[in-house]
Amino acid sequence: MPHSVDNPDDWEPVAPGQGLAVTAEALYLINLLLLPVIAFITLLILYFRTITNAPTLAACHLRQTLSASLWAGFLLLAVNLIIVLTGGYQSANVWMLVIIYFTCCHATLVLLGVVGLAKAMAGQCYRFPLVGRDL
Amino acid sequence: MQYKSQAVAKPYFIAAIILFVAQILFGLIMGLQYVVGDFLFPEIPFNVARMVHTNTLIVWLLFGFMGATYYLVPEEAETELFAPWLAHLMFWIFLVATGATVAGYLLVPYATLAELTGNELFPTMGREFLEQPTITKIGIVIVALAFLFNVGMTVLKGRKTVVSLVLLIGLLGLALFFLFAFYVPDNLVLDKFFWWWVVHLWVEGVWELILGAILAFVLIKVTGVDREVIEKWLYVIIAMALITGLIGTGHHFFWIGTPEYWQWWGSIFSAMEPIPFFMMTVFAFNMVNRRRRNHPNRVATLWALGTAVMAFLGAGVWGFLHTLSPVNYYTHGSQITAAHGHMAFYGAYVMIVLTIISYAMPMLRGRTSANSNKSQVMEMWSFWLMTVSMVFITLFLTGAGILQVYLQRVSDNPQPFLAVQDQISLFYWLREAAGVVFLVGLVCYIASFFVGSREPEAVIEPSGSAA
Repeated sequence: MPHSVDNPDDWEPVAPGQGLAVTAEALYLINLLLLPVIAFITLLILYFRTITNAPTLAACHLRQTLSASLWAGFLLLAVNLIIVLTGGYQSANVWMLVIIYFTCCHATLVLLGVVGLAKAMAGQCYRFPLVGRDL
Repeated sequence: MQYKSQAVAKPYFIAAIILFVAQILFGLIMGLQYVVGDFLFPEIPFNVARMVHTNTLIVWLLFGFMGATYYLVPEEAETELFAPWLAHLMFWIFLVATGATVAGYLLVPYATLAELTGNELFPTMGREFLEQPTITKIGIVIVALAFLFNVGMTVLKGRKTVVSLVLLIGLLGLALFFLFAFYVPDNLVLDKFFWWWVVHLWVEGVWELILGAILAFVLIKVTGVDREVIEKWLYVIIAMALITGLIGTGHHFFWIGTPEYWQWWGSIFSAMEPIPFFMMTVFAFNMVNRRRRNHPNRVATLWALGTAVMAFLGAGVWGFLHTLSPVNYYTHGSQITAAHGHMAFYGAYVMIVLTIISYAMPMLRGRTSANSNKSQVMEMWSFWLMTVSMVFITLFLTGAGILQVYLQRVSDNPQPFLAVQDQISLFYWLREAAGVVFLVGLVCYIASFFVGSREPEAVIEPSGSAA
């Protein structure tokens, strides 16, 4: 069925670097959700190839997603490993802590990525709270 | 309010809120019974408290969906409701049937209620969530048919939009799948199999269409983003919801006697069920970021964003946590399921009903577009109190569930159910405390209808700020 259009010609202009910003946010999310490591390496390559000439919007999202991805790696892998190693594998309490920690931490990082992606799609800069870099 | 007949939504919303209070009170009673087993026994046994807690939830959400439909369909169709008198009549029939059924649960033993309502003539009672007497179920069908007729005729005579059609398809599916509540095969496997056609295909199927349509309607109104953009998102979200949710029913068919292939189908498709919720979150934040106006009803926007986030967490993340069959082999029917159920219902359906109430109620009560700032601040307090306490309820139940699974099913020396329940009682106490905070949030929510009601409406802030 045809769309019930209010303002058919009222499209918003695309901000410079918006495509790159959306790609960076998408890679951050793919690293967390679908293809860990592979998506991160792709993000890393994208960062080093484009950061010097990237428009402000794209540079902002590239920096934020790279920083957040590194933090995500530390928070999800290293901290989990420390909990398991210091508590031993054979304890119910350790598994409870690890699963709850991983679920909450991972979900929070994904939600931050969702907000970042929405900001990129709207052509706005975004600083990830706690795991992002200063703007 | 653009159309006079939208006013029929108001009693539905009021009834929904009253039943919401009843649901939470019985939830608290039941939560206490987890740790103080004979609390209020024999006046309100655990099974009765549980039945009232879950049944009032379902019914108040239905009241909320109906109210939302009666509010948004005239506005979408740009015409008055086909028969407002029918909507009023059905409201009273539904309310009386609900009151009589809850009174029946509380006043007589369930077996006596079955006898009194003639269950032996057409047995449908005794199944979880579908405990209602057959006569009540028939009443629900009559109310649903009249409701669909009324809404369908309104849509037919007016403008057809994607929002109203998606909503109508969702409501049609809701009525259709409820008919399986009348099908009770003797074979226990078939009985469970088709029972899920009501329970799962409601909450992880057609209700998602209703959720998407209401969310889209509110976002169109509060953000001013082009309807065309929002409709495209809605198409993709509901397509994903149906693709994943319909075959995803298979995750309920693990370990109940169905063929083994359901473990593959159920695992694969339900692993994809977070996708529509993920998209819904991106959608909601994207629309708010691209908004073209600052609506004075800021709390409705907060509820809309909260719905997307909490639905993603509760239905998406906590659902995925135990949906793969090798994991579900251990977690089936544990407190992990309860954790998921609490956050998913709150995030997806409680919050979307509160979103539309928050958006529509000021107009239904004579305001132009929003409540006073004081009232909105109170409502925001209720939002945060209820949402944060629900997060804690979920976390405590998840902790209890993981310990339960480990001690009862994974460890080298598995312990019996009740021995494990004793060891996780701390989590039940913490859950009860979080439940009390939730009740405080609900009291704030109700207070927000009265606080600042004589003060002037909130005004539109200058545009430019982003979410």
